[in-house]
Amino acid sequence: MTNVNLIALTKTYPGQPHAVLQDFSLAVAAGELVTLLGASGSGKSTLLKLIAGLEQPDAGDIQFDGASIRPLPPHRRGAVFMFQKSYLFPFLNVGDNIGFGLKVQGASAHHIRGEVARVLHLIGLPGSERRQPGQLSGGEQQRVALARALVTNPKLLLLDEPLSSLDTEVRLNLQAAIRAIQRELGITTVLVTHDLGEAMAMSDRLALLSHGRIVALDRPEVLFHRPPSQAAAQFMGVSTFLTGRQSAGCLETPHGRLQVACAAAQAGAATYAIRPEHIRLQKAAGENALAGCVLDCVFRGEYVEYQVAVADLDVRVRMPMPAPRYERGAQVYVRLPAEHLFAVA
Amino acid sequence: MTRLSQIGRWALYLLLAAPLALFAVYAFSTRWFFPQLLPAEWTSATLARVLGDGRVISALRDSVAMAGGVSLLAMVIGYPAARVLGLRQFRGRNAAWLVLFLPTVVPPLAVGMGLNILFLQLGLAGTLAGVMLAHLVPALPYVVFTLAGAFARYDENYEFQALVLGASPARTFWSVSLRLLAPSLVVAGLFAFLISWSQYLLTLLIGSGRIITLPVLLFSAAAGGNPATTAALALIFLAPPLVIIAATARQLNQRPGDIREQL
Repeated sequence: MTNVNLIALTKTYPGQPHAVLQDFSLAVAAGELVTLLGASGSGKSTLLKLIAGLEQPDAGDIQFDGASIRPLPPHRRGAVFMFQKSYLFPFLNVGDNIGFGLKVQGASAHHIRGEVARVLHLIGLPGSERRQPGQLSGGEQQRVALARALVTNPKLLLLDEPLSSLDTEVRLNLQAAIRAIQRELGITTVLVTHDLGEAMAMSDRLALLSHGRIVALDRPEVLFHRPPSQAAAQFMGVSTFLTGRQSAGCLETPHGRLQVACAAAQAGAATYAIRPEHIRLQKAAGENALAGCVLDCVFRGEYVEYQVAVADLDVRVRMPMPAPRYERGAQVYVRLPAEHLFAVA
Repeated sequence: MTRLSQIGRWALYLLLAAPLALFAVYAFSTRWFFPQLLPAEWTSATLARVLGDGRVISALRDSVAMAGGVSLLAMVIGYPAARVLGLRQFRGRNAAWLVLFLPTVVPPLAVGMGLNILFLQLGLAGTLAGVMLAHLVPALPYVVFTLAGAFARYDENYEFQALVLGASPARTFWSVSLRLLAPSLVVAGLFAFLISWSQYLLTLLIGSGRIITLPVLLFSAAAGGNPATTAALALIFLAPPLVIIAATARQLNQRPGDIREQL
């Protein structure tokens, strides 16, 4: 098991005004799975390429177990890569694809055969050695790609959106499979994705990336329930923010006065946020209920999603089914339960 | 397939095969006088005589060696050029294309005369190496064009994948890059071979009459006016390219999309 230390990495591409990564630091513990979540262009894929040695950083250092690997070429680093596409070599069958890494490292044919059979079993495709990559489904191809990466017993597994081209059901299965294998082997892993659900399901820790910087880094459940900043909250699906003056358990907003449970340390200007599934709509006025008008209403199966205008504020609400039905244009009250309002920086 | 296109197909075959059939008839004929439709007597003596000629055998050997050498050299030079042109965007890319393609539009005589003066100064005129370098001028554009097309569809992530799995850059080149590009490499090499194989003018100009390839022999035989000898030589001239094309037919038939990942 290897711990990975990224220290003050900076990367700029020629002809681009902004750095893709700016002073980026991250420590990944041995056996840990850390996910980088961010929109395209946030620098997450570049970071993986720097770790693998496919790109060189302008400044900073990359250490495996405390030793710098920057001087090492990609084939000496022991950091394997799995892309969105499987990139199985079309001229080799499944067994030879998986055995490729061992073969170029000079392993014996006997050893390779045994190891290939072992990892094929691990990924749930035993006996598939003779199949051709073109005969495999998309999910099977990614399983084989994972096996090919794992068979060399790498120090670090780098996953660059490995599941994003797969159907939902296959994706969910593979998320669980990869996570289980990763835990079993205890292999240090960095996953890059733009799918919040995938990030939360798979990570030990989650790093939220924006414009080459970490916005927040913590366990998924912590980030989900109590994101530290407005930017982090937006990553986690929060869109309702209320700013006002706070005093004695109350927040005075332009839309009205709200009770808040967890009072921030000092009085003064403050911003509070609330998750869409904690907001409720009701007909009657009441405590912590702001008057608004229903703009839109979308039935999503397990819940109904409302968009409600409260003065100039757009409030997104998720009401679990069964939920009372409000038509577009209906006048409603938006209740923001005090216990679910939390302060953000 | 419709009846009309069937007829068209066979008409095309006939059109392409007719001159070759005529060569064959000429090569094996003896005493063929007007107005006979076919020769009165057949013989393989002409072909045997031509094949027994030491000059023909040495010309055949030199031609194969030269075309093979030019083909290899054009690929060694063309591969990196095509890789950069096909995979990268850079300032001056169009200018590089233009320079590479100039030899295909400039008349070969002009190229040959210019090269001749230069090669005389360099001491390359009249040497095998000089003629091979001269053949590269028309061969290289076709190699670069074919390979650049392949690289435009090429995905470098296959190479990255091999590298991170522990393959050295050299191993990656031999085991992955060349394997993925094999169909296009075969086509490019075939182009270069055929272009060099059929060169007459450049061989004559740069070779200063000392480098005798099959086309040179063929032209002098044609000028000599013995149709049977000319036809026999032409058949010998045709054989190696036909063998090579037959051997590589599978590669030539590959669809261009095959280089991508097969999903």
